[in-house]
Amino acid sequence: MKKTLTVNLGGTVFNIDEDAFQLLEKYLANLKVHFSREDGTDEILSDFELRISEILSDKIRAGYNVITIDDVEAVIKRMGKVEDLCENDFRDDDSKKTQSSAGSQQQPRGERIGRRLFRNEDDKMLGGVCSGLAAYMGWDPTPVRLLAFVLIFVWAVSIPIYIVLWMLVPPARTATEKLQMRGENVTVENIGKTVTDGFEKLSSKMNEFAKSEKSRSSMQRFADVVVELIGIALKCIGILIGVALLPALIVIVVSLFFAFLGLMIGAISGSFGLLSHLMPSLDWSHLGNNSLWGLTLLAIFGILLVGIPLAGLLHGILSAIFKWKPWSEATKWAMLILWFIALVFGIIIAAHYGYIWEQWGWRFWRYMY
Amino acid sequence: MRKGILEYCILLLLSKEKAYSSDIMQKLQAARLIVVEGTLYPLLTRLKNSELLAYHWIESTQGPPRKYYELTDKGKAFLNELESSWTELHNTISHIKNKQINNS
Repeated sequence: MKKTLTVNLGGTVFNIDEDAFQLLEKYLANLKVHFSREDGTDEILSDFELRISEILSDKIRAGYNVITIDDVEAVIKRMGKVEDLCENDFRDDDSKKTQSSAGSQQQPRGERIGRRLFRNEDDKMLGGVCSGLAAYMGWDPTPVRLLAFVLIFVWAVSIPIYIVLWMLVPPARTATEKLQMRGENVTVENIGKTVTDGFEKLSSKMNEFAKSEKSRSSMQRFADVVVELIGIALKCIGILIGVALLPALIVIVVSLFFAFLGLMIGAISGSFGLLSHLMPSLDWSHLGNNSLWGLTLLAIFGILLVGIPLAGLLHGILSAIFKWKPWSEATKWAMLILWFIALVFGIIIAAHYGYIWEQWGWRFWRYMY
Repeated sequence: MRKGILEYCILLLLSKEKAYSSDIMQKLQAARLIVVEGTLYPLLTRLKNSELLAYHWIESTQGPPRKYYELTDKGKAFLNELESSWTELHNTISHIKNKQINNS
């Protein structure tokens, strides 16, 4: 008995055995790596998928319900293993030639060793930072961890450094990234190895989950618990801050709304009678009719400038508390663009009426003190 | 060497009629030029990217729609060039061969 999966291959749906699926996925992944140096990688791959889908369709039409690993092996034999495709590749021949002529130390194109710093999530105590660093340097992770542990007591700054690294350094997720982390050549064979390694790890992980968490040591499990607790604590603090800020934010937003309304009414009535009544010693003639619209526009843009980030913050807090849906990408972009327009126009108008504003501000200052 | 000839053959095949990649494949396999199918797709894409070929989708009664390839004008011009250089090459080689036969 075998578990089957349903896959969409080139627009056709197939039922496929799990092992056959893994083989096919590995084959397609290898092809992708192989053709990644060429233009139109996606097109080549979709051609491959379409053709494979056709071959498999014939099989289904012949009366078989499920694609087995034998079928996939036959397909791969027919399409050609990645190694066979390499032999026919003109460019590979070229690069081999240049390699042999320039001496053996030169790496073929696209396969040079490029180490990158990643967090190693396959072997981690806290965030996999030490482990990733060790992989980057080519060391064993244990001494690095010991050093980090000692550093905590010697040099307290190492704790925030660790946390910053944890946040900034990306985890190695794909096979390519894992190879880059260890500084191994990104070749088809290595990718294949890592992909299969990943599968083994995944299946063994599932087994562990079913039985017990033996493979993670008690230290590691303790660390996991600590990480989880810190996460919960951070979330609680965030919510607390949000709740504390909420009334103030609501007040600000509401008052902004009324300020906006007031300004609109003020602009429409087109008079500063009320203001001049309130502050009689100010010379309001500077703010003549021509600058009134500018003033109003500036106020609107100002409200948008302050209001949009505030509304975003408010919505963020409320959605965290009441589990609202976050804003859609479109809304976010619209808000951002609106904010940007407000910023640009605000600056333009402010510059235009700069002289009057300067005068006004100076008089206002004198009036207040 | 072999690759250049493959491209030449593909263009030749397509100069007579537009064809679906599997048809091209079968003809090439019949001529024992290609062993595995996977070699063809990157070649076709490369030829298409250099604007020698164009394709359009045609519905198929069995399975997904198929890409039918045909030569572009640029491709036809390129094929003519290839043809003349091939004849030249062929003449040179047969000339040398004949000489060898005459000498021996």
